[in-house]
Amino acid sequence: MAKLMIVDDEADVREFAASFFRKRKIEVEVAGSGEEALSVFERNRPDLILLDIKMSGMDGIETLEAIRKKDSQVKVIMVTGKKPEEDEACKRCEELGVKGYVHKPLELDELERIVLKELNP
Amino acid sequence: MTINYKKELETAAKSMILVHEPDVLIKMIARTIVHRIKVSHAAILLHEKDRSTYVLDISKGKVGVKIPAGFARMDTDNPLIQFFLDARSRKIFNGGPFLLDKAEEILHSNSDDAAKELLKGAAHQMGIYESVVCVPSYFRDELLALLLLGKKSDGAVFGQDELDFFMALASDVAMAIRNAQLFRELENELDKKKRLFFNTTVALAAAIEAKDHYTHGHTNRVTSLGLEIARKMAHQNKTYADAVFMENLHVACLLHDIGKIGVPESILNKTEPLTQDEWVKIKEHPVIGVNILQSIKELEEVILGVKYHHERYDGSGYPEGLKGEQIPMIASIIAVADAFDAMTTNRVYRAAKSREVAINEIQQLSGRQFHPLIAEVFITLCQEGRV
Repeated sequence: MAKLMIVDDEADVREFAASFFRKRKIEVEVAGSGEEALSVFERNRPDLILLDIKMSGMDGIETLEAIRKKDSQVKVIMVTGKKPEEDEACKRCEELGVKGYVHKPLELDELERIVLKELNP
Repeated sequence: MTINYKKELETAAKSMILVHEPDVLIKMIARTIVHRIKVSHAAILLHEKDRSTYVLDISKGKVGVKIPAGFARMDTDNPLIQFFLDARSRKIFNGGPFLLDKAEEILHSNSDDAAKELLKGAAHQMGIYESVVCVPSYFRDELLALLLLGKKSDGAVFGQDELDFFMALASDVAMAIRNAQLFRELENELDKKKRLFFNTTVALAAAIEAKDHYTHGHTNRVTSLGLEIARKMAHQNKTYADAVFMENLHVACLLHDIGKIGVPESILNKTEPLTQDEWVKIKEHPVIGVNILQSIKELEEVILGVKYHHERYDGSGYPEGLKGEQIPMIASIIAVADAFDAMTTNRVYRAAKSREVAINEIQQLSGRQFHPLIAEVFITLCQEGRV
């Protein structure tokens, strides 16, 4: 079964997104912070990571940088607020290599489509 | 347990009259639906005009999906939104709620409905939100919100009375949202007008300073000091200073010397001592100010400030020689602020006094030139280092 890791510091977002994808027969791991994401990553390598760009503490970019040091290939989709102040961060994401972006608030079917596409190419 | 929908609707309508914040109202409605009708979950998406999208405002449920507010959206090209924006497709449900079971019936039938494609897309959206009923909320022809409902907790199908209830609720929601929008628009409009008025006042004040070179910055300093005094007085409960008074005082401070526009520049900027006649001219500025402003009915209290800011508590001021409490409070406040600033800045005819000398002078003249209460508050402000 395809494995997805959801990284978001908001518990209700994690909870919803996890159940959303579990219902779609995807194995889901969740992490509430960058640090947690790294340890989950070590333990159970996911096929795809859904990573929130704006988190308190270690943010999405720092998390992505740390993950890239361990694995240059794993697919990552960034979740952003599509705010102008995030433009710079998105540039950095490009350098680090990401599969794409979804912008909050997001169209749920778009989220479904993009994740399923990456997991079942 | 059967529910008296008429009664529920009345209760809801009553709350809507009391609650003016649509956010609060929408939360109440979602709660009512989940708890009273026993629906697994309810979600409400609200139209965001400037982004042409519908954003999830609330999602409530005991057992069903709970989507975090602000996490999901439906753009106007979303099939479910399209379905409700399109007059033809709406007819499938006679303008009422979208019913997933009915939609599937139609989709599985052999009918050759032109709206089938849209219906299919809309049904898919319903699936994503795990909803079986979608209630549109219109104001006139404008789709303001969508209410998405999960299954009933007891597994039963929604009855017509329940669907009617949702439609009635949805139309109330639309009304409440629209009212709140109108209210906000009105407030914005009012705000704009107010800013226009204030900026016009500031421009007028600048016109005075353009003429009288030696009083540069005087208007602004008098304004901040005057407002500071009034705030302090209100704080010490020595006088009322409601928003209207503060606004009037603000404008009056800005315009207190507006009458100087009518005094010849040769007098205003003269470096030698003024003659008797020239002093008479200078002393006309409060009355000239009144003449300039008097056609503006709304400035009644402001005009009092302009007219009497050179009156003195002991009756020795001008233009009317008013005494004590005869002098309007607004004018007495300006008088102290005006005098202090005049004393502490260089004038054509004399050098500035030091801050300490000026404060001392105001204390000495309390009850003679200045209203004692205001002089006292002014001294307090000085002691607190706020002047």
